[in-house]
Amino acid sequence: MNNLVFGKYIPIDSFMHRLDPRAKLIGLFLMIAAVFVPKSWWVFLVIGLMLALALLMAKIGIKMIVQSFKPMVMMMIFLMVINALTVKTGDVLFTVGPVQVYSDAVFNTLFVIVRLLLMISITTLLTATTNPLDLTLGIEWILKPLEVIHFPTHEVAMMVSIALRFIPTIIEETIRIMNAQKSRGVDFENGRLAEKISAILSLIVPLFSVAFERAYELADAMEARGYVPGAKRSRYHVLKFRFVDYLFILICVGALSFSILSRFYL
Amino acid sequence: MPIRFKALSYIYNKDMPYAHKALDSVDLDIREGIITAIIGETGSGKSTLVEHLNALLLPSEGSLEVLDYNIVAGQKQKFLKPLRKDVGLVFQFSEYQLFEETVIKDVAFGPMNFGLSQQDALKQAAAALKLVKIDESLFNVSPLELSGGQKRRVAIAGIIACDPRIIVLDEPTAGLDPKGAREIIDLFVSLNRQLSKTIIIVSHDNEMVYNYCDETVVLSHGKVVYHGPTMELFDDKKKLKEFDMLEPQIVSFRNELIEKGFKLSKDARTLKVIAREIAGQVKR
Ligand SMILES: Nc1ncnc2c1ncn2[C@@H]1O[C@H](COP(=O)(O)OP(=O)(O)OP(=O)(O)O)[C@@H](O)[C@H]1O
Ligand SMILES: [Mg+2]
Repeated sequence: MNNLVFGKYIPIDSFMHRLDPRAKLIGLFLMIAAVFVPKSWWVFLVIGLMLALALLMAKIGIKMIVQSFKPMVMMMIFLMVINALTVKTGDVLFTVGPVQVYSDAVFNTLFVIVRLLLMISITTLLTATTNPLDLTLGIEWILKPLEVIHFPTHEVAMMVSIALRFIPTIIEETIRIMNAQKSRGVDFENGRLAEKISAILSLIVPLFSVAFERAYELADAMEARGYVPGAKRSRYHVLKFRFVDYLFILICVGALSFSILSRFYL
Repeated sequence: MPIRFKALSYIYNKDMPYAHKALDSVDLDIREGIITAIIGETGSGKSTLVEHLNALLLPSEGSLEVLDYNIVAGQKQKFLKPLRKDVGLVFQFSEYQLFEETVIKDVAFGPMNFGLSQQDALKQAAAALKLVKIDESLFNVSPLELSGGQKRRVAIAGIIACDPRIIVLDEPTAGLDPKGAREIIDLFVSLNRQLSKTIIIVSHDNEMVYNYCDETVVLSHGKVVYHGPTMELFDDKKKLKEFDMLEPQIVSFRNELIEKGFKLSKDARTLKVIAREIAGQVKR
């Protein structure tokens, strides 16, 4: 449970942490586009180097990035197998039993996998360096234009930030209840089906009752402080673009341009 | 010696940029058959320490002996179930762990997990509920319908019913009314005195610690800074100042009486005894 890395915020201070969340969001979209466009390994190398630099500036260890790949391993193996069976162009590299594996199968798959890994790393970089509340402020800002068609941006942003805010709380409660039930002899890892079901029930039921209790408390607390859905609100925390934020976006635009141009010239 | 921490350290989020050493090379022997208090400011590592006792947390470094079990950093544990049966842990806000349809079934849940038949488990559950003073008329209602204090007592019964040799309580009285808190403490004192269970209580309540606990461990920033008889700690003004703790009222009262010229024996530690001793010395 604690090893879940993807999407986890790392509360430290760094250059990347201090960037404006909107700049980071825009940068994320630009860079993901930049990863999707190219057909050349050179572009990946350049983006990879940029990413490594950004990770360095974010003070995030490579260990954490590698951990964030773990959930994808099964998918990658699946992709590899499917491609090996279906792609039949290029030279035969080797044969496994009755299956001939072609060079295009291997290189295409590797290409897709590297593309996926870069995408995950970029997203992990964003979520690891951006406090969830800032992130929702950024999302709200980006969705702003949709207000023209009466899209409730503020309400959506509020819901998302509450959900994000409560993920760590719920994880904490889950661990606490699991510990309490383990102390009563529940084994969450082993056991027959009937035991498994009883173990899960002993976790789910208290978790639901705690979650509802928390939800009621939060609703009361919000009402007591005069929260009215849809009312016009001012902000305590105002986001402000600084020079480095523009610079950051500019660099990301540069990366995207490079990768678009690479399709024509590389 | 049932419990022995040997140079035990625990690090939360090991290998992460925000790793945190919550216990720092703790050496500690806790004696069998007595009540030991664990105190210290919030975040000093009390909960982390006690969660090692039934292997919910495993040491990052060092080792721990509990009864006949030996827990060493980096080794896989094979005897989790018997260990958890012998060491019962009652959590802070334990009322949130209730989930069965009825009170008695919930209390019987632990004993059944530890291998008792349903019949025996229910029998033990009924006995444990009686110990915590839950009326028989409540045995078959849903635990979610009980009051906060009743829920807490049912949760405690859930551990007592497993018949552990060591009972560990993390802030068992937090958020209870004074009378409810008093009843719970009395319960553990009687479990200690009558069934000679080893009791370990994490608490912020110095009055309670002074009145009921034989020995006290003071934690600060993950280190043991005091371990010894409770009386010695609370009589030592310098230590109290050093640990930033308040003197229990009864100690202040006693000291003031002695200052005013009353003669009190060393065991005059409760209001009752003090009252008896000074009664003869008061001029009419
Ligand atoms: N799951 C966790 N992940 C990361 N750090 C933790 C975790 N649990 C506790 N800590 C940290 O470890 C330290 C010790 O925590 P612990 O809960 O043992 O303190 P405590 O003495 O029980 O405090 P309290 O009196 O508030 O219950 C604290 O600094 C806390 O922030
Ligand atoms: Mg605690």
